[in-house]
Amino acid sequence: MLNPSYVGRSLPTTAPVTITAESVTRFARSLGLADDGSVPPTYLISLTLPAADPLVDDPEFGLDFSRVLHREQRFAYHRELRAGDAVACTVTVESVKTVAGNDLLALHTGVTDAEGLAAEVWTTLFVAGDPS
Amino acid sequence: MSLADLTAGETAFTTPFTVVRSDLVAYADASGDHNPIHLDEAAAEAAGLPDVIAHGMYTMGLVSRAVLEWAASTGETLRLTEFSARFARPVVVPADGGADLVVEAKVRRADADSVELTVTVTSGGERVLAPARATLTAN
Repeated sequence: MLNPSYVGRSLPTTAPVTITAESVTRFARSLGLADDGSVPPTYLISLTLPAADPLVDDPEFGLDFSRVLHREQRFAYHRELRAGDAVACTVTVESVKTVAGNDLLALHTGVTDAEGLAAEVWTTLFVAGDPS
Repeated sequence: MSLADLTAGETAFTTPFTVVRSDLVAYADASGDHNPIHLDEAAAEAAGLPDVIAHGMYTMGLVSRAVLEWAASTGETLRLTEFSARFARPVVVPADGGADLVVEAKVRRADADSVELTVTVTSGGERVLAPARATLTAN
């Protein structure tokens, strides 16, 4: 069971990381996308999920990633991001819902660059209840 | 083609893909998602799955590819502004032959400045995504 008192809490914003051309190329090629330097639409998940690691590492929150399935994913792109841009992530616990002993965890991540909010990423994870 | 010529309900595109195990290995390396249920049969079975399954985000990535390829084919300069999906069923990827996916998009709404697509993905005739949505905006 996840700790519902975390709803509304934001993790400290991550240090900015530069999106390397190499990582964009590798991601684009793995999906057969044109490799033109623009950040692929789903690339941001490779930044936003690691940004949520402090929640996985926090015993008070109770998130066991071995029991997690990805349920829903949404992106809003406020402007184009390109290889070479530096971005930081701020993860917020939007909601925790318990349904039939399982948890649904909704996270929102704001992705900011030097000019402000560049994209938003919403991830809903299904966390299977502990059978014991 | 002008976006305003699109009619709600019409099929924008149908794109088939074949997913094989080595695609999932490449995606795991590119995305950093090394969950063994996407790579290893024993790990998938231990998790209660029939076989290795594709990353949900791999399937969503293929949808993004089909959407962007269609957008390029319209001749308009379109930017993806919203993109969402719900993962309804796993895509099982057998070692032999992989999995066939069909990505089909219908126009949900269109005007001169933007188009919203509803995208379904089926594998073996079953829907693996609750309809995905993609909104593209003319620059």
